[in-house]
Formats: sequence, structure tokens, C-alpha cells
Amino acid sequence: MRAPERLPALRLVASPLTLDGLAWPEGVAALRLASDDLLLIGEGRMALGNEPAIIEEDAGFVGWWLTPSELETAVLPHADWPLPPSRPALAQGLVAGVPAKIWLTEDRALLLCAAAYAHELAERLG
Amino acid sequence: MRSSPGHFLLDGVSLAYEPGDTLAMAVVRAGAHPGRGGTLCLAGDCGNCVAEVDGIAYVRTCQTTAGPSLTVRRHPQGGPPAWHDPAPSTARPQVRRMEADVVVVGGGTSGRGAATAAQQAGRHVVLLDAGDGNEVVAVYAGPTLVARTREGMLHVRAQEVVVATGAAEIQPACPGNQLAGLVTARAARELHEAGIDLGDAVAIGPPPDGVPCMLLTGELVRIEGKERVSGVVTLDGGVERTTPCDTLILNLGRSPRDVLARMADDLPVRVVGSSAEAFPLPPAPTTGIVCPCVGIGVDDLEGVWSRGFRELELVKRASLVGTGTCQGSVCLPHVRAWIAARTGEAPGPFTARPASRQITLGEAAEDVHLDAFRRTPLHDEHVALGAQMDRFGGWWRPWHYGDHLAEYRAVRAAVSLGDVSTLGKFLVDGPDAVEFLQRLYPTDVATIRPGRSRYALLLNERGHVIDDGMICRESESRFVLTFTTGGAGNAEMWMRDWIETWGLHVLLLDRTMSLAAINVTGPRAAELLARVGLAYPPRFLQHTRVALAGMACHVMRLSFTGEASFEIHHPVDRSVGLWRGLLAAGDDLGIRPHGLQALFGLRLEKGHVIIGMDTELDTTPRRLGMDWAVDMDKPDFLGRDALARTASLPDQRRLVGLTMPGTAPTEGSPISSDGDIVGHVTSSFASPTLGQAVMLGWLKRAPFPDRFEIDERLAAVTPPPFYDPEGQRARA
Repeated sequence: MRAPERLPALRLVASPLTLDGLAWPEGVAALRLASDDLLLIGEGRMALGNEPAIIEEDAGFVGWWLTPSELETAVLPHADWPLPPSRPALAQGLVAGVPAKIWLTEDRALLLCAAAYAHELAERLG
Repeated sequence: MRSSPGHFLLDGVSLAYEPGDTLAMAVVRAGAHPGRGGTLCLAGDCGNCVAEVDGIAYVRTCQTTAGPSLTVRRHPQGGPPAWHDPAPSTARPQVRRMEADVVVVGGGTSGRGAATAAQQAGRHVVLLDAGDGNEVVAVYAGPTLVARTREGMLHVRAQEVVVATGAAEIQPACPGNQLAGLVTARAARELHEAGIDLGDAVAIGPPPDGVPCMLLTGELVRIEGKERVSGVVTLDGGVERTTPCDTLILNLGRSPRDVLARMADDLPVRVVGSSAEAFPLPPAPTTGIVCPCVGIGVDDLEGVWSRGFRELELVKRASLVGTGTCQGSVCLPHVRAWIAARTGEAPGPFTARPASRQITLGEAAEDVHLDAFRRTPLHDEHVALGAQMDRFGGWWRPWHYGDHLAEYRAVRAAVSLGDVSTLGKFLVDGPDAVEFLQRLYPTDVATIRPGRSRYALLLNERGHVIDDGMICRESESRFVLTFTTGGAGNAEMWMRDWIETWGLHVLLLDRTMSLAAINVTGPRAAELLARVGLAYPPRFLQHTRVALAGMACHVMRLSFTGEASFEIHHPVDRSVGLWRGLLAAGDDLGIRPHGLQALFGLRLEKGHVIIGMDTELDTTPRRLGMDWAVDMDKPDFLGRDALARTASLPDQRRLVGLTMPGTAPTEGSPISSDGDIVGHVTSSFASPTLGQAVMLGWLKRAPFPDRFEIDERLAAVTPPPFYDPEGQRARA
């Protein structure tokens, strides 16, 4: 695997209803990590009005943008779980035994993990 | 797969085979037995033909096509095969994965029928048949099937599994059943069709079509011969009769091949065909070997039965019957019949567990990964500085940088950096944050003012210490919590569970892997930080948000080392710059980084415990001498009821400080008093500053002695902290 790229992001923790009502600019990858947890890659700021929220810049993730072919051959053989059929979609689980996430769009995929795990993931994917 | 004629090596001797021969068939063709005796089924059901093939033990030779490059070695009689150091392999483990609506295991009539029906219903079907080289060895939740194929291991996840594996032929359980020359009816037919001469063959039970043999009447009593069958004894009309023979063909009935179905309790697995049939059990055996794989006889079953193991699962565990190569395929009907003869009721078959077939360690390890250990953003910096890295709490951490005593002295006399990025770091906010933390912690969180912080224990409902860390209050509702490196993951689950349970409106964000942290510690720490922009350092147990070296940092004033310490939390992508900047700025101050080895000694001089190292699973604050960390005046917090209930009870355990002259004993060393072991050492360090060994250790027998022996040397209880007991240096 080539070296991963850093993924500067914004992390939003708020009630599920609050996050459901958010909108973001085109080109921003919005990864709903949990019902109350949103990771916006490619977005630097976000305001939620008076709603209780935690909004923090998050430099903790790195990733690899992959073609569908790269995803198929380099990643999926190491993931023991099916990908969701819809697009865009987020899948989370172990890839080669390393906690990872896959952000799936129509034409490409982003394999991301915590920077602390990047060396393990890259080494295991070869 | 058909082969051309050729030769392979059997126990070092060249052996010819014919096209289509399996290894077992070729050995029988040569007049020998592929194993060390016992009935041959040639269907993969028993373990009587297993041998070492090309260095791999326990290979079913009846399922292995003969080939010219194969080397076969029979297992030794009555013992395990020899161990060989495996050749180094550079092959990367690879597992193929597949999904299907329906997986059918077995390609016989019922299997093909089930597959066709599913296909006609528009379902995606995968059919796996051992005859095609796709041997299913396990069924797991999912359901997921694991199969050994010619291309490697295959994992198939299905919505439904159909087991259509047919039935196995029952083998004899009587004296002489370990001789060569015994074959099942199906095996006899295969051997005959392969042109193998069975000699003078006799049959018990319906003889196979077309195979020349003499049918015997009566019950099988025993088989006679020396290594190979020479005659069979039957009982007919109350009279025993011995019939000489070269081959004994046995058609004693069948039993379902349902091992995969028995592995899949509560899974969507359907069993069809013969594998679903309830065949009659054979007569209960009265003597002889029942389980040829493990060598368990009727006398062994009687032994465990007489000791009170009177259920099938218990008989299996106590005698090991059914735990061998064939996993009960041969012995299970006999053991069920044997128990039925004693209880009047046939027990159901015992539970099956993966793997149903012998697989190599390499095959078992495919798709299995070691735990992934995390690296801090400073990992490469540590390595470049000569650090010896080691695994602690799920992270790679520097143990030392070549001289842990020099690192220790830098902390005590100058300034030092420690990479504490691994600490658990959480943000808590929300309308119910204070209420939540009041319930979570035994300390009075409401009295922590913004800008201040406090050390806190984390207790479970039983009042046992499960973690510790700092509570930093940032505003009325926002808090930063830290936890131990190894405990952060559990702490997060613990908090989320209680937020959910209590139904509180609390927001929680794990920042552990988003923020790095550097501990700047030592008497010249503040001087160093002033050089990088910290004009007004926070006082002890205060914290502040400030820009250092051009980046937003959260600086916490605390102390684990016993010296003035500033923990700088900052984004992981800026950590290398900050680390290098601090080292450069402190060059003339005698700065050097310290690893865990020095840190463990430094904290031990202060008597600070490490959760998990100095504590046990049922350690209470009282046992640690840390009642001061618990505010029993609070109306409620996790563990309060248990602590209140046990407060007045005697307690025979204490973690105490210990000192003695000389070197530090090994951690874990026993503590003895008058020849009795009364506890053990949990942490130990030969303090350069104090000139003696300082320790923490458990005393587990009251009344607690105040003098005892460790490593055959006198030691004494010394209340910690051993170093700077007034805490002046940490507050300086």
C-alpha cells in the first residue's frame, strides 16, 4: 500500500436528531460513525446553533482513496463482512484485523483508520 | 481427479499405483494397510487410513489421489506422528470469501436435489462437495462455512446451509477390530471395481453387489489374526464358529454424517437425505476397542461410568472417546448404544465443534491476525533516538532510550519529555454532564471549578477500582477526562453504558487517537515551557488552553513523576514538531526523553499505583490506602453502596509501601513472615536517590506484620510517598 494521506476533518457529537438535520457542502464526505457522532472530511467549520454539541477538529484519521478495482483486490479479501449495497455508504469493521472504515461512493472508496493503526493496516494489506 | 500410473514413496519404499487410485487404494493394492490396521471405509469417515503425506500428518489417504511426487509415511503404532520442523514459508495467508443465499454441503442425490430446488427458486447456490476437493470443516455463526479447497481456505457466508453429507457405514466394535484386512461394504465394492483382489472374502451383513465373497450368518463375536485378519468368529444359534478369510467385509448398518449440523445449533441449517435419517443403533459393544482413534475400549467406558460420569457428554470428556481423528464418526453409534443398554434410553449425539477434519496450523491461522498495536505519532522519533520499543496496553511505547538511570536523573534534576499520547482522553459535555460524572466518580465533581482538575478513581458497582485518571473541568458543562493507557477502551464502554442506562443527555467524544500528549517534567520544566511560549504556566492541578510553538494546546499541571509536570495535549499531526521543538529548546537545560522504565521507578518513589499492575480485580480504595479519593458524603456514585456495606468489615488485604537495603527484588517476589508467604511484591525499584529498594506489595494475612523477608532479606513497611513526602517538588 502506498503511504496514506492525512484526512483533516471535523468531528461533531450531538443528538441524533440534530445530526439528522445537518447539511454540508458538496464534496464533503460525511461519515456517520454512530447515531450521535459525525465525521466530516473536507469541512473545516460547522455551527449547530444552541444545540448541545461537541465540535472539534480531528486530525486522527488517515486514509487511502481507492478505485473500485483496488478495493476489490487489495482490501475486500481481508474484510470478513459484506459491503452495504447503497451509495454513498459507510462500512466499519476489521480489515486484516485492524479497526477500519470504508467510505463508499459511486466511483471510488476511501479506506480510513486511526493514524495510530496506519502502519499495521498498510503492512497487513501488503 | 484421475492420475496416470506411477510410483510414490511409502515409508521410503517405492510403491506403484494405477490410474484413479487414491493413496489408500494403492497401498491396499500392494497388500498392505495405509494406516496401522482397522476397518477401511475409503469414504473419509474414519481415521484408520490417516498417514503423513508430504510432511503433513493426519491426512486421509483414502481421500488423496496418488501422485508421483508424494511421500507417505505411516504414523507410528500407538503414538502420534513424529514432529518435523516445517520448512519456512513465505506464502501469505489468503482466504477466499464468498456469499450465497444457500450453501449445500454434499453433492450426492439429496444435495443436488436441494441445490436444484434452491436455484429454481431464484436463489444463489453454492455446492461444496468433498469429492470435488471442497471439504467443509466448520460451521460458525453467520452462518459461515469454512472449507478446505485445493486453492486454499474458503469462507462462505450464507443465509441458509443445507447439510446433505449422507451416511457413514458402521464399523465393528469387537476384539480384533484393529487388524488389517477389514473393509466396509462400500470400500469392498470400490476395491473390487479398481481391480484389487480381496482374496478369500467373507461378509457380515448384506454383501456388496458383484464382489465375490461368502456371506456369514450370525452375530460378529471377534476377529482373529496377527496384524491381518485370518478368520472371523460368529455366534449363530448359540454356537461360535470360526471362518478363515483374507478379507472381512462388514455391512453393519449406517449412521448419519451430521457432524456439521451438530456444530450449528441455533443456526439456519437444514439437514436432508441420509444425514437426516434416524438409523438404528448397532448392538451395544461388550468388549474391545470402541474408539480406534484414541484407543478407548469398553473397559474404559465402564471405568468412567463407575466413577459417575453417566451422560454422553460427560463420558466423552472423562474418557476422551470421540475426541480423535474422526471426531466420533466411528465410535458415536457404539457409545450411544452402550449407554442405552445401561439407561434404557439412547442419548442424542454429542455436540460437535470445529474442525471436523484435521487442518494444518497454517490453514487454521489463515485469516487470523495478531492484535494490532498502535503507534503514537512520535514512534519514529523514539526509534531515531535509540529507544527500545515494547508493547504496553495496546501501544508501542519506548521502554528506555539506552540508559534509564540517565533518564531518571534528567527528570529529578533537570527536565525530561515523556510520550503520554497513549493515555485515554475524552471530552464530556451536555446538559447532564455534571450529574453523570457525579454518579460515575467517587469524588465530588461538582466542586471542581473550571480551570481546575482532580485525580479520581473509577469504581465499579462493587466498589472495586477499575481505572484512574484526571478530571479537568473546562466550563460549567464541559470536562476533559483521562484514563490509563490500557483502560481507556473499557472506560469508554463503561461510560457509554451508564449514560444509556441512566438516560442522561451527555455527549461523549473519544479523543485518544486524535490528540497526542507530551509530559514535560522536571524542576526546569516551567523554564523550558516559557521558552516555547508558556508565559503563565498553570499551577498544580490547574489546566489551560494555550498556543505553544504556534499550535493550540491543552496544558495540564499535574505530577506522576513527583516533579513539576505539564501534560501538553495537542493534535496528533503536530506532535513531531512540538517534540523536536521542546528537545531543541531544552538542549542547554540537560533535557532528554524518558521511557517507561524510568517512569515506573519515578512514580514508585512517589508511591503512585498503576492500575492493573499494583491492583487486583477486587481492589477497593481502602485496600490501596486511598480512602481519601472517595467522598462518602456524596449521596450516590457507582460503588458507594458496596463501600458503605463493607466499610466496617475486617479486611485482610492491604497494598503497602516497602523498603529494604540493596537491590530491588523481582516484581512478583513473595513476601514471607516467619516462614509463611503473606503477600507479594507488585512494583519494585532500586532508588538511586534514596539508596534503597522501594516497593509496593500486597499483604494478604492479618494481623499485618511490620517486618518480613523478601528475597531472604529483611524488609519493612514504609508508608509512601518515599520521595518528597510533602509534595513540594510537584507543586513548585
